[in-house]
Amino acid sequence: MPSLLEDLQNNPLAQATLVLSALPLLALLAWAIWQPKLFLLALKNLRRNSLRTALTCLATLVLVLMATLILTVVVTLDRFTTEKARDFKLVVTERWQLPSQMPLTHAHYLDPSSPSFMLDRSEIGPNDFMTWSFYGGTLDPGKMTRENIVFFFVMNPKHIIPMMDDMQDLDPALIAKLEKNRQGCLLGRERLEAINKRVGERIKVTSMNYKGIDLELEIVGELPRGRYNTTGIMNESYFNQELERYARTKGKHPLDSKRLNLVWLRVRDRATFEKVAQQIETASVFADRPVKCETASSGIATWLEPFQSLLWGMKWVLVPAILASMALVVANAIAISVRERRAEMAVMKVLGYRPRQILCLVLGESLLVGGGSGFLAAFLAWFTINAVGGLPFPMLWFQYFMIPTQALFWGLAMGFVTAFLGSALPAWTARSVKVSEVFAKVA
Amino acid sequence: MSAPAIVRVRDVHKYFTRGSERIDVLQDLNLEVMEGEFLGLMGPSGSGKTTLLNLIAGLDQPSEGEVWIGDRLVSRMSEGELAQWRTRNIGFIFQFYHLLPVLTAYENVELPLLLLPLTAAERKRQVLTALDLVGLSARLSHRPGQLSGGQQQRVGIARAVVTDPTLIVADEPTGDLDARSAEEILALLDELQRSLKKTILLVTHDPRAAGHAHRVLHLEKGQLVETARAADETRIKLG
Repeated sequence: MPSLLEDLQNNPLAQATLVLSALPLLALLAWAIWQPKLFLLALKNLRRNSLRTALTCLATLVLVLMATLILTVVVTLDRFTTEKARDFKLVVTERWQLPSQMPLTHAHYLDPSSPSFMLDRSEIGPNDFMTWSFYGGTLDPGKMTRENIVFFFVMNPKHIIPMMDDMQDLDPALIAKLEKNRQGCLLGRERLEAINKRVGERIKVTSMNYKGIDLELEIVGELPRGRYNTTGIMNESYFNQELERYARTKGKHPLDSKRLNLVWLRVRDRATFEKVAQQIETASVFADRPVKCETASSGIATWLEPFQSLLWGMKWVLVPAILASMALVVANAIAISVRERRAEMAVMKVLGYRPRQILCLVLGESLLVGGGSGFLAAFLAWFTINAVGGLPFPMLWFQYFMIPTQALFWGLAMGFVTAFLGSALPAWTARSVKVSEVFAKVA
Repeated sequence: MSAPAIVRVRDVHKYFTRGSERIDVLQDLNLEVMEGEFLGLMGPSGSGKTTLLNLIAGLDQPSEGEVWIGDRLVSRMSEGELAQWRTRNIGFIFQFYHLLPVLTAYENVELPLLLLPLTAAERKRQVLTALDLVGLSARLSHRPGQLSGGQQQRVGIARAVVTDPTLIVADEPTGDLDARSAEEILALLDELQRSLKKTILLVTHDPRAAGHAHRVLHLEKGQLVETARAADETRIKLG
């Protein structure tokens, strides 16, 4: 998950919501400093009908919470399907088959540490390479259930921190353990709980995809919470060793020459990507099992193709509908409040308050409700959902979605914007109250 | 030498339109109120009393004619100018008090002062003086709901005088009070007029209330039809 600073530098939604939350916040602060008594009056007006204020806050809170959860999924997937300007990853897969199953020799030509490396070392460094093989199995072959299934990324432990997304903060001691103990593995929190195992315990995995390659693993650590909650990582040297053992005793495993699923390379820019991709796709060494190259983002986008309509609907129908509902909730509450207080507005005008001051008072009350409950909702979502390991929303290999820190700005911005839109008309009505009409009852 | 006129209403005409129908509320009305005068304005419902009061207080504009308060032509001022002018020049007392229920007596009285360039200490001094004047120094932190009708009206009066306005306009200030409270409020208005030399314009249905005025004007169908000295007015009405 990118840091808040990275989001603010690169993510247009984070930038827009920062502005939309900062401007009203600064305006409210300036108001509180400049006219503290009127600010206090706005606060007191909110307490006038505590039930109505509480219900409006609650409705806003629930709606912002829903919108935050939806935006979290959409923004996270967007992040993976949007190409970066720099340092983006290139994925090499089998050209004509899905799932991709390539021979291990393909990796040798693409591994900068291999003597057979075919690319320019000035463009692909030792930390810009990673391979994945997928290994899935069960702890109870007699009674396979969802709970006792484990899935592993089989890879070189050295590549985890430099190449895997969201692994930059992984404790290097875990990598050292994984390298030292070839049978070691790392498992996500939820998977550990599901199989009822703890770090330090051993598991025996009966493979589902590599029939006959059953592995005995020691859990040496836990993966960071979030997207890796339900998966695991194991050392490729143990996996390869077991395939070789199988070959010695029973002949080559049917998947022996198909064990390489993905190769990842990091390139510094688009031009390098084009050049490297062309080199790889036209290389004669891959002629027997042709490969294709795509950016990680376009690769993920391809995988997400079946979900595009759903994601589009979430982003462009559901979120706007939620925001419109919020604006209507605020509009209703503020309109009732203004109607009840017409005489007070008129009295304030009689005392010398200008229409714009009355407008500001009503808008201020609305912004306090909207911004306050919006921020609270986003904070609750960010704090509680991240504390329990993310939002469970299984979609392909995305199992959990962590609420990004920028969601705090989403909440504030959603609260402020919908409060402003919802209260604009009632505030204008309040500002336009005609004193002579309000007091025309006794003439 | 008589005091100068502080309120001058010249050839004022005010009408409203309802659909195609035109309703004349005030017609060719002329009026002068002297500085320091306590003027009563009486008349039946719909006679235009409150409309006249609104025009003088700058809450409404005449359809024709001019309204002068001191040397300011109120009837030609913009809404923003009027708002600023009202803060310093007009104290308004309402029949139903119209205090803000979420504010204490102190805060209600302080409300108009927030619009003036005063320090917190100056505001506090003026609020305390005004509340002392109406005898509510012991009720500073009470909210309107915790005060009797008479006490609420006293707070309303304190709010009206706290900016030391040129003119105090009172629209049926005793209309919602029992006889005893009403008499106390009227005595308070008398006191304000006498001790602070305030000009007071009082709209009322009540002949007893009008009896406190120096001069009483009658409005009927939008025209001033009769003028009498207040004492005579009271005597006539009460028999």
